[in-house]
Parts: sequence; C-alpha cells; structure tokens
Amino acid sequence: MQRATRNPVYNARIPSMFHTRCARICCLLFSLLLLPLESRGDQWQSPVIQLAQKIVAATGPGAVACDLTNRSSLGNTTADEIHRQLLGELESLNVHAAPADQAAATVHVTLSENLQNYVWVAEIQMGNSQSSVVMVSLPRPQEAVAERSVGLLTVHKALLWTDDNRILDVALPAENPPHMIVLEPETVVLYELQSGRWQQQQSLTIPHSQAWPRDLRGRLVLQKDHLFDVYLPGVFCRSTPAAPLGINCRESDDPWPLAPRQFPLNAFFAPKRNFFTGVLSPGIQKQTTTSPFYTAAALPRDKYTLWLLAATDGQVHLLDGLTDQTAKLGWGSDIAGVRTGCGTGWQVLATATNADARDTVEAFEIPDREPVVVSQAVEFDGSIMALWADSDSATVLAVMQKSETGKYEAYRLSLTCGQQSDFDGDR
Amino acid sequence: MKLTGFLLLAASNLILTATAKAEIRPHYGGTLHVAMRAAPSSLDPAQPDWFGSRNLYPLIFDTLVTLDERGRPQPALATSWEAEAGNQRWQFHLRQGAVFQDGAALTADAVAASLRAANPSWKVVSASNGVTIERDSAAPDLPAELALPRNSMVKRDSGKILGTGPFAIMQWDPAKKLVLAASEDYWGGRPFLDSIEIEMGKSVRDQMISFDLGRTQIIELAPEQAHSALGRDRRVESSRPLELVALVFTADAQSPEESKQREILSQSIDRKLLNTVVLQEGGEPAGGLLPDWMTGYSFLFPVEMDLTRAQQERAEIARADLWNLGFDVNDPVERVIAERIVLNARDAGLRLQLATQNPVDVRLVRVSLTSPNGRVALRGLCAALGLPQPAFGGDSVDDLYAAESALVKSRRVIPLLHLRNVTAVSERVRGGREMPAGNWPWTNVWLTPEQP
Repeated sequence: MQRATRNPVYNARIPSMFHTRCARICCLLFSLLLLPLESRGDQWQSPVIQLAQKIVAATGPGAVACDLTNRSSLGNTTADEIHRQLLGELESLNVHAAPADQAAATVHVTLSENLQNYVWVAEIQMGNSQSSVVMVSLPRPQEAVAERSVGLLTVHKALLWTDDNRILDVALPAENPPHMIVLEPETVVLYELQSGRWQQQQSLTIPHSQAWPRDLRGRLVLQKDHLFDVYLPGVFCRSTPAAPLGINCRESDDPWPLAPRQFPLNAFFAPKRNFFTGVLSPGIQKQTTTSPFYTAAALPRDKYTLWLLAATDGQVHLLDGLTDQTAKLGWGSDIAGVRTGCGTGWQVLATATNADARDTVEAFEIPDREPVVVSQAVEFDGSIMALWADSDSATVLAVMQKSETGKYEAYRLSLTCGQQSDFDGDR
Repeated sequence: MKLTGFLLLAASNLILTATAKAEIRPHYGGTLHVAMRAAPSSLDPAQPDWFGSRNLYPLIFDTLVTLDERGRPQPALATSWEAEAGNQRWQFHLRQGAVFQDGAALTADAVAASLRAANPSWKVVSASNGVTIERDSAAPDLPAELALPRNSMVKRDSGKILGTGPFAIMQWDPAKKLVLAASEDYWGGRPFLDSIEIEMGKSVRDQMISFDLGRTQIIELAPEQAHSALGRDRRVESSRPLELVALVFTADAQSPEESKQREILSQSIDRKLLNTVVLQEGGEPAGGLLPDWMTGYSFLFPVEMDLTRAQQERAEIARADLWNLGFDVNDPVERVIAERIVLNARDAGLRLQLATQNPVDVRLVRVSLTSPNGRVALRGLCAALGLPQPAFGGDSVDDLYAAESALVKSRRVIPLLHLRNVTAVSERVRGGREMPAGNWPWTNVWLTPEQP
C-alpha cells in the first residue's frame, strides 16, 4: 500500500480570524477548567495547536471523523486529554467531529515516540483519494517516579539536588539563609535558598593537571575556620577564609577523612583509582594498614570504635584496633555510619541490589560481629554513586544516577525509629 | 525501640538479605576476553563498517563528538562547537591534552587531516584551538555525523594506525587476534580494565564453547539464538533493532510493469513469519528502512503480507520477469530467508530463483544502522545499499519521513526486517550499557574479582 506525502501548508488568514481565535481561547479555557488540576496539560497545548493546524491545512473546514491511538509511553489519561484538546482545537478551526459515515475526511492520530521525542502522526484520508500524513514532534520529558518507604526503622530519602553533571558530594552548612555546596568533577557550586528555590551564587573551578580516574570520587568536608575542604584523587582544595569565596587547590596525596570529626581517622586514596589504598592515618590504635577499600563506617562502642571497611575484594573488614576480621556480608561497596538514637544508637547504611535489579540502601546494626537488618530497604531508580556520612553523622548523603535519564540526584538519607508508612515525595 | 524488635525484623529479612546481590563499585584490573565472527584484515576505521566494528573502534580511536544514550551529541575530542547561520559552516573547539598512542599531541592539523581523509568533499581548515568544517550544503546533523567511527581521529604512520582512544594496540594479527592495553593517561580517565583480548573469525559454535569453558566473557550470538541461549544460564543482551535486512535491486525499474512486479513482491512476503519462525523473534518486521525506536513513525509502512492483493495485481501484468536472487551463501539465516521469499513470490505468481553468483537482479542484504540519528542513519543506509542519497526538505520529522518514504516508493529497496544484536555476557562483566547505536562502551566495562 502506498501512502502519499503532502507538504504541510498553513491556511491563509481569514477575515473572521479574530472571532475564531476568541472562540478557540474560550474553548480551551473551558476545557481546561473541566480537567482535574493535576492533569491540566498546558505542556501539550503548543503541539496540539500545531497538529490541528496541519490537519486543517490538509482537510480544510468541514466534518471529519477523528480517532486516536496511543502507542507511546504516555498514560491513557494523558492521551485522552490530548485527544480532547485536539478536538477542541479542530473545532475552533471550523473542523467539526462527525461519525465516519457522515465525515468528508477521516483523521487517524497516533501518539508515538522515538529515542528523543514524542511523535504525533495524523493519517488523513479524504474520500477515495490517497491518504496524506502530517506529524509534529516534541521533546520527551524526563519523568520522575516517587517511592514509598516502609519499615520498622524507616529510612527516609529527601531529594536535595538534581544535576546533569556528576554530583560527587553535597554539603549543607548551618547558615542563615541556608546554603548548599555541590561538588562536581570540575567545579564546586554554591547555592543559596531564595524564596524556596536554590539559586546559584558562585561556581568555583577546580584546577587539575591530570585526567580524573573513572568512577571519580570526591569528598566535601565542612570546616569551622573556613567553609570547606575538597578531597579529590590527587588533589586537595581549601576554600578561602574570607570573602569573596574562592578555593586554593594543589596536587596532594593527603589522606582523606573517613568519617565525621569525632572519629579522627584518615586514609590515603589511590590517585588514579577509585579506592583507598588501605594505609590509615593515624590508624586505629595500632592498626595502620588494611586491605584496599572503598568506604568506611564508624560504630562507636563503650570503650572503642568498631570500623567497618568495604574492601575492594567484596568483603567487609571489621577493625577494632586489635583485630582485622573479614566477613562476606553481601553488602555493596558503599557504606556509611549514622547516629539515630534508635536501637543501639548507631547503624550502618549499606548499598545492595534487590531482585528487581534496583539499587537499595538498608540499615544494619552489629550487636556482636554479625550484622542484623534493622530497616526495610529503600529503593532507588538508578545506581548509587556515593554514600557519605555528613559532618554530624545524623544523616547520610546518597548520590544516584538515574537509569532512565542519566541525571544525577543527591538525597539526604535519615533514619527514624519505628515503622512508618509515610510517603517520601521525591518531587 | 527494643532490641528484640530489631531481631524479629532481622529474622524476617534474613532471606531477603541472603538473596540480595552486592552493588559493588567498579573494580580496576583484569583482562576481558571477547570473541567475534568478523575477521577484519585492517583496523582502519576508514574501511566500510563490519559487524562488531562499532564496539571495537571506540576502544582505539576517539571522535570529536559522541552520542549519549538518547542519541544526543556530547563532547569528546571537541569540547564545544557552534554553527554559523544556515548550518553549513561549523567550528569545533578541541580538547587540550589528548595524545595519540605514540605520545604525540592531537593537534588541530592532525584533526583536519584525519577528517579530510575520511571526507574528501569537506573543506576542513585548522585553527589555533580547533577546526572549521564547511560543507556543500546545510548540515544540521554534522555533530551526529562526526560521531560515526569513520570520522575517528587516526594517525597513519608508515603502515601503522594510531588513535587517541582509551586502549593502545599491543598485538595485532590481522583477522585473528587483537590485544589492547589500557592507556594510563587517557584524557577520559584510565579504563577499568587492564587489557582486552579479542579473538576474531570465530564461528558462533566456537564462541559458545569458549564461553562455556570460561575462557571468553563476551561473545556474539545470532539473533535467532537469543531465546535458546537464555535457557543455558547465560546473561544475554539484546540490542534495539540495529540491522536492516532488505532486498536491493541492482537497478531502477525499467518499466511500469517492472515497478509493479516489485510492488507485488513486497506485498507477497510474509515478514512476520520470517521473524517468528526463521529468526525466533530476533528482530521486527520492517516496512520502512529505519526502525521505530529511531523515528516513531515506522507503523506508517505496512508490513502485513497481502497475498490476495498481490495476486490481483499480478493478474494485471501480462508476464513476470525471472529474477535471480543473490544472497550470502556463508550466512545460513540469509539462505533460509531467501528460500522463503522465493516461495512467497511464487504464491503471488512471480518468478524468483536463488543465485549463488553474479549476475543477480536482486540481492538479499544485511546492513548495519550506523547512527541513532535518523537522517545520518538513512544516508549511511543509502551509501551502503548503493542507493541515491536521500533529499531532506528540512530537519523536521516530516522531512525525514518524506525522504524515507520516497526511497521505499522507488522500489529499489524492499525492507524486510530489523534485527537485534545479541551478545552473551559473563556474569563477571559489569558496567557500561549498550548505547543506541549498538555500541557497548567497553571502556566503562569492569570485571568483578574472581572468586577465591
């Protein structure tokens, strides 16, 4: 079967255009008023108008039978809404809906999509003549999915920031007005909360002569005498103590702090890799070396601090100053300690992948040397790229790369005692 | 909260924890072993695409631009670019610090020379920090075009081929074996893997044996093997449809009757049966040249067999020519498809016979789609099939449809199927995901540590 293609043309402006436009606006306003608030599709208005104009250019005014098929990822409610808007728009252009046997033309609209765009196609059949095809395309938005978190000890996740660039770490200094510092591979970006929105105040470039390693990692540490320090593989940066804010960076293999200030333990980071070498400074009592590891979590005990290190060989090392025990716990590479006051007071958050291949974070306690799960797993829509305890250990910063969009999202994870059934709205 | 409560929850979650897989960070080191059917005698990206080249070239060579998972141009060796009004003249600004694998810096002159060699009709001029490319006509898709492997930056030095890519060639036995080693100072960061060993010219059977023995971590499968391979504890990755199977006539129709016969042939072919029976759902029936994920409008090209109409239209023609149908005799799938087409044509009253050597009137071909960008892919298909280049009226989706529709209506080519690329992957292989062009960025691949 052959299908003819007609170049789309616009109708000439007609004398009654003003009245037609008024009628069209009234029609649109009326139809919008009838819609529920959440489904008002202002975003569809422009492509609907474009498609209607293209259809009318082919059919001219009169009666048409118009149906619609949705083969895109849009929901049926949205497709119905687009259909209603399209019929309204056609009506305002003097094209009236009619049954097929009474119509001068049939218009079959298909909502489709490709890799980047929605593609709306109208196949127009005028009597026995060859059919023509008109199309419009519009970028596909990147949709978000909200998640629910339920558990005996509940892990809450609150979205802090979304970015196209990789987010390495985020810090929220205790300041008024609130500020947020975002560490990216090439910049440190400072935001201020203004009228409920984060507004970028400053972007500080991080100079570095060597290419960053893959799976780049970085740490943002808030300080008292100056705003922050930045640790990156082979590079250390310190913010200037006085205004205007700047940073001074140098090539450095200084050890990175592993945990908040109350646990003074640092470790050397391999400058061309994504892990800590295993050399500790100043050490856990007499233990100054261990296996290479990705992340660490501190769990204070009565008389010592138990350190958990997620090693590069997939095992977890438990260091108490005397012994270095290893265990295969099935945890991911990212762990962080968090102080909650629930249970024994401190928990470890650890990443994993669930049966649906989604990354998760769940909380554990280590009453002896065996971990005990103390929360339901909270799911993420992508890969967790970083998990860092914040400066007071009360919350944990998680960075995720969304599977669908590739965008990076930073979340603040906190734990509350008891089972809750709240809705953690990401958006 | 009492501790007993936590312990109760722990007990209830124990099974979940035990079955959860660890989400581990990428691991540096190791050698990835790959096997492939293709046996290229050269690694020069200027040569025509071969099956597997889209995975191999980006290991050794870089392009100015890459395409992301949605087909959008992203900076690579060019950090930014802009077009002058009309999209005919473009400026690309080069990344500093990129070096060829012999240590020589990538200069604007080297970029210009490389692009001129691959595209003799382009006017490429080097400047201090970039290049200017001028085309004969508007080229709104130039960035996407520059992401094609043939536009890789190549240094040809007394028979040696060098790139700026993440891996350097350590050993090259043409058509047999390629060993690559990670470039420590690659501008995009050192790859996770230490090395990649690629065995070439391996039959699917040999590849599967090697895979099952644990000697190879990535192998190719034929599209029709995707389902059967799944049942054998392999991780099987199927791409979007990336390959066109089509009938291509060697010349334009010489008369209205011949054109009509080609139309009848297209109507008589049972594409759905080919896909379900011959290919075991390893592809999609195709009425158009480009797959639906690329255009969103492929449903406008009918794929249904219409034997009744074909027979009616055949009855309107006095006599049918005898056509010789050529195909690749070394490809068992092509043979089966060709045989089915001959039978379908016979049912419609047409005369086709299989031909294993020239001259042929019509040839069954398999052509890779080189880009996720519809216009670039359509140009590539036309070049590969020996068809006239498509004429685009503009850069809208209507214009793409109009150009593709005109090619299909010309009946020089009859689209049949779009096939997926299928690979079996070891569970040890992590990282990276297949891009829309079908390339799998092995640069981001890493291997989990071997179990002690």
